[in-house]
Amino acid sequence: MTFRLTCPVCGKRDVYEFTYGGPERGPRPAEPESAADGGAAAGEAHFRWAQFRMNRLEAHEEWWYHREGCGVWFSTRRNPATNREEPGGADETDAGDTGSGADGRGTSGAGAGGAA
Amino acid sequence: MNRLPRFPTQRIDRSRRLGFRWCGRPVEGFEGDTVASALWAAGVRTLGRSFEYHRPRGLYDLDGEGSSQLVSIDGVPNQSAGTTPLREGMAVAAQNVRGDPRFDVFGILDRMDRLMPAGFYYRLFHRPAWAARFFQERMRRLAGLGVLRRDVPARAESTERYLNADVAVVGAGPAGVSAALAAGRLGLRVCLFERRPWLGGHLDWRVREGRPLADEMAEAIGQLGRMASVRVFRHAPVTGIWGENLLTGFQLGAAGGATDGGGATDGTGGGGAGRGAADEGAAGGGGAEAPSDETHWECRAQAIVVATGSIERPLVFEHNDRPGVMQVDTAIRLARSYGVRPGRRVVFSVGDDLGLEAAIDLASLGIDVRAVADARRNGHDEALVAALAAADIDFRPGWTASRVYGRGRVRAVELAARTRSRPPTSQPTGATRDAVRDPGSLGDSGSLGDSGSLGDAGSMRVACDLLVASAGRQPDIGVLSCAGARFRHGGHTRTFELERLPPDVFAAGGLLRLTDIEALRRSGRVAGLEAAAACGVDVAERLARARAALADRPGPARGSSIVRGPVANPRLAPGRKAFLDFDEDGTWKNAAQSAAMGFDVPELAKRFGNFGLGPGQYRVPGQNLAMAMAEIAGRPVEEFAATTVRPPVIPPSLGTLAGPNHDIHKRTPLHDEQAARGAVFRRAGPWKRARYFSDDRRCLDEIRNVRRNVGLLDSSPLGKFRLWGPDAMRALQRVYISDMTRARRGRCLYSAMCNDTGNIIDDGVVVRTGDDEFYLTTSSNRAGSTVEWVRFHTRYDGWEYNLVNLTDALASINVAGPNARRVVERITSADLSNEAFPYLGYREIEVGDGVAARCLRLGFVGELSYELHVDASHARYVWDLLLEAGAEFGIQPFGLEAQNCLRAEKGHVIIGTESEQRVTLLDIGMGWLWDREDTASGKVGAAALRACEKQRGRLKLVGLRIDGAGLRGDGGRDPEDGAVVVDGDRIAGFVCTTRFSETLGWRYALALVEDRLAKRGGTLDLYESHGRRALRWRATVVSPHFYDPSGERLRDAAPGPAATPGATAAAPSVRRRASEAPPARRRSPVRLDAAPARTEDRAGWNVVLDYEPDRADANGPAPASLIDLSHRARWDVQGRDIQTVRPFGLDVPPSPGDVTVAAGIMINRMNGTQAALWHVGPGTPPPPPTGPHYTDTTDAHGWLAIIGEAAPAVLESVTALDLFDPARARPFLTQGPILHVPCQIVTWRDDAVLFAFARGYGQTFVEALLASARHEGLRPAGERVFTDWVRARKT
Repeated sequence: MTFRLTCPVCGKRDVYEFTYGGPERGPRPAEPESAADGGAAAGEAHFRWAQFRMNRLEAHEEWWYHREGCGVWFSTRRNPATNREEPGGADETDAGDTGSGADGRGTSGAGAGGAA
Repeated sequence: MNRLPRFPTQRIDRSRRLGFRWCGRPVEGFEGDTVASALWAAGVRTLGRSFEYHRPRGLYDLDGEGSSQLVSIDGVPNQSAGTTPLREGMAVAAQNVRGDPRFDVFGILDRMDRLMPAGFYYRLFHRPAWAARFFQERMRRLAGLGVLRRDVPARAESTERYLNADVAVVGAGPAGVSAALAAGRLGLRVCLFERRPWLGGHLDWRVREGRPLADEMAEAIGQLGRMASVRVFRHAPVTGIWGENLLTGFQLGAAGGATDGGGATDGTGGGGAGRGAADEGAAGGGGAEAPSDETHWECRAQAIVVATGSIERPLVFEHNDRPGVMQVDTAIRLARSYGVRPGRRVVFSVGDDLGLEAAIDLASLGIDVRAVADARRNGHDEALVAALAAADIDFRPGWTASRVYGRGRVRAVELAARTRSRPPTSQPTGATRDAVRDPGSLGDSGSLGDSGSLGDAGSMRVACDLLVASAGRQPDIGVLSCAGARFRHGGHTRTFELERLPPDVFAAGGLLRLTDIEALRRSGRVAGLEAAAACGVDVAERLARARAALADRPGPARGSSIVRGPVANPRLAPGRKAFLDFDEDGTWKNAAQSAAMGFDVPELAKRFGNFGLGPGQYRVPGQNLAMAMAEIAGRPVEEFAATTVRPPVIPPSLGTLAGPNHDIHKRTPLHDEQAARGAVFRRAGPWKRARYFSDDRRCLDEIRNVRRNVGLLDSSPLGKFRLWGPDAMRALQRVYISDMTRARRGRCLYSAMCNDTGNIIDDGVVVRTGDDEFYLTTSSNRAGSTVEWVRFHTRYDGWEYNLVNLTDALASINVAGPNARRVVERITSADLSNEAFPYLGYREIEVGDGVAARCLRLGFVGELSYELHVDASHARYVWDLLLEAGAEFGIQPFGLEAQNCLRAEKGHVIIGTESEQRVTLLDIGMGWLWDREDTASGKVGAAALRACEKQRGRLKLVGLRIDGAGLRGDGGRDPEDGAVVVDGDRIAGFVCTTRFSETLGWRYALALVEDRLAKRGGTLDLYESHGRRALRWRATVVSPHFYDPSGERLRDAAPGPAATPGATAAAPSVRRRASEAPPARRRSPVRLDAAPARTEDRAGWNVVLDYEPDRADANGPAPASLIDLSHRARWDVQGRDIQTVRPFGLDVPPSPGDVTVAAGIMINRMNGTQAALWHVGPGTPPPPPTGPHYTDTTDAHGWLAIIGEAAPAVLESVTALDLFDPARARPFLTQGPILHVPCQIVTWRDDAVLFAFARGYGQTFVEALLASARHEGLRPAGERVFTDWVRARKT
């Protein structure tokens, strides 16, 4: 398995430089205001979000972290059948909740040089 | 002598004789010979014995297409005689042989083939059960090829090379060279790989009407050599093509650039000129290297042109494997390239015009060509037929070889006429169906396809010593097939034709069954332009012209469909000795047997009958297998797919694939100090850490010293981070499970991180160091992923905070034990009293000669302790101060094992030891950390904790007391970590950590058990299975805080035990004033293995300006110098407003990857919010910039420079990153791995590259770099080389 991913900062790089952050599934659902009105429904929503992966064999948005490079999280659209990135398009997130995803980009902690 | 007169195509140098040994016997060859050609010239016909039947095998091909020509060279098995250049003094030996290869004892196996039908090892010798092993042992001794000898040392060095190209071209025949030229002329970076030591493909040896066709290539090859953007790699077989155009391969001969064109004018060699002597580049100039000198290379290309040409398809007939049967190319290359007479009386059985041309050419050399059979009945090149007639050669169209006579060598050949073939579309005849039912009776009637049976047309027997046999030619699909191309059998070419190409891969030349030389060239040009188009160059017009030009030339040649020669008497010759696969002795009969048993398609027969599983793969058996299976089944071949080709297409040695095997790991700044005190190191994540300081694996002395006195632990791998920014608190609240607003100045707030499942994944302390600024620690295991984690869980929020990893920048020294305060007091003037600096306090103090230290009063080991975080470069200085100050107390370092026992006694958990995937924060009894009121921060894990809070049946952390009393069947052993907790017969948990505690006087354990067993005072059983013995222990559930449960010792609330006798507890502690301390010294993470010649003291650093010159470079400066710059100042600058921050009054470059150099400062823009400042100037560094944006990262990194003209070659051998992309303006920044170590790399100019990396890697990284690039001339050098370069650049 050798494929490449396009880092928004560093360009095309070998997949071994990245860590996988899972499919795009939107932000974490909000917790109920208090424990009292939470209950089963909130728990269920959380578990759907945290544990369910549809594993569709088609192009979808994924999160990747350029661990051995610039230290940036980004999302990219990849087809797991071919391992190639594909141009974007309307995409359903796995949780059914579309997150913008853009805010995480371009902000980073220590880059390669400082990574432990 | 079997040599022919001189001729321009020959590659041997007759003035240089090379003596070598064949099976112990002295023989001679010439410089430029391969092992195979020299042996053939010396009259050796049997090179070895076959895998299964021990049949004699000889020289069949010269390109390593199968196992027949594998020999052992200097004790290294399975070397290809056909491709290995001859060297003086080689010891060459035959394989799978007892005694002389001509009289192998086990040749008898050849008569036992009836015992070994297809797939016999799956079916026979398996019953009764003992028989399987009995026969296995014996068969293993009989079968096989080379023997691996333990007394032959493995190759010392293994080199690698990573190439970046726009276009990679595989194969340097007329098509490949044209493709490289077409792409190179457009200025694209081209890498051309040729598996042979010269360029030109088959034109290299072909001679037409006395004129070498190589002349036609000379000009193109010359042009190639003059093109700076084209690099030519000879003797460099491609082993495979992988995802997104990654090519892998190896290069024989000299390590490094010897065969690399690289724009050098002499790099391409070959061509028409310069024959006679060994080609200059071939195998690195000949003679010097061992056969195992191989370089592994990988090439990432935007587009690939595959021009691997065609290879021969073997003709199958009885005894087609006898020594003296060879391919057309083999015979002609022996004569034309090596000047070796292939035989005295020769018979040809061919299937195409190239075969006829070869017969005429050999005849013209005075070799007696007795007869030429051509499987084709018509369609010959009339000129060639006329030439055959003119040479008075018996030419028989429609005839082929059907049988060979002779055992150790060919003595005669039976030629036979083919009968008119049946159309292969017919259904199986009755005879075939019967035969399929009864494989034993399967005669030739079972193969009524194209071969047919001997009719009345006749046959003849011709005496000869060489049979040149070929069914025709097939495209060399190996590399292309690996890339994912699909093939389909075509009616016109009668070969497997290209049906579909993978993206950005193009095919040209003989691979498309073109044979016309001009067509080959033009097709190469088309493919080269197509590749250029794939690289984004606009070549539409040129491409249209090139395609039109190609259309003017003849298209693909028609091929022959014959697989097997006609058979006179099927009863006598049912295909028992007609070999489809030489590697594993797969015969026609075996293929028929496979089909009869239902394994009737090539992919099944391949596995059941072992066809094409050996090195021959798609070559000798490859397409023939599919065609044979079709013929056996009586089905059209179009219904059968060729078997898949798998890398390596051409096998490199395993050592080449294994690579250099560097042991790159992180070392703490105190590694050497601990090693000197006898530390035993163990790998822990990326680090090597001191685990023991004595042979006592229980570490009793180390533990006692901490409990009763004072010990010293190097805990530098502890994760350390600086976090600041307006939203820093929100980020903390998100990832930590506690209420982080409680973080205060001067106080350590202990907390934990959970994941979305509520599992505890990390713990550590957070200290507020400013209004929006914090210092945090994480466990060592998590140090590498903390930034990633925090960023991931805030990625939708757009918060503004900055995070710098200081793990490597700061050493951590833990002084622990009742005397800890007395020791630390002696090296600082700070007030360490309980009142001024209580438990969980945090102070920034100075130690020794004014060295800044962050001091944390924690107690992981359960005693009074001070954790000192100091600059990594100061670590040794502080360590030595502490050892000196503690000498009178008997201070001793302790290791990880002692720490593990100490903390476990105290009931302090280690994440990952006392927790695992099923275990939440609540389960290990740390629920008190959770701020359950906070639902607004979206704490990671809080929702899961809430959901599983009341769940039953979960594992809970308990303490166990394991008493000697009441043991049953413990066998006198103690339980170990990982012992199972059982409840009757059920597994109900496991032991995380268990030790005998001298302090407590009994054996304790921390264990995770099901909640119903977790009640204090209850008993449970531990269980271990040791082979057949089952051991059990009885244990009582107790509090996990075995030692000092109230924490008095941590708080120093109770008077400690008496100090060691050497020190009087009453002695007043003496505070050391700064003026009394020795001057502070700093140390680089890198120590180069060379003798310093000139050094300079610079702010505590001992800077080496010059080293004593390396003896290897007595004649001048090294081609590349490796310089340690770790002492030079560096800062991290971070913030969303980075563009408005003007460090030293300079602008930060606007986009990531950009680098500016001004006023001695290099600014590397890393990403949207971050840049690095490096002091590169020759003068003194400016005063550090002030403000929250900056973090001093001098000690966070090792920093190296590689200076010299060989810098590109050096870096190419250690990283796949494209550091010399001609399209990018220098200087530019690349962030990525070198030797798998993440680096920040600046390509300043092509002869100067700077890179920084996590400090801990320093020493092992530098050692690996020097080892990897030694052959490129990389040598250690002092700072002066760098400052000189910078100065020279300015002027």
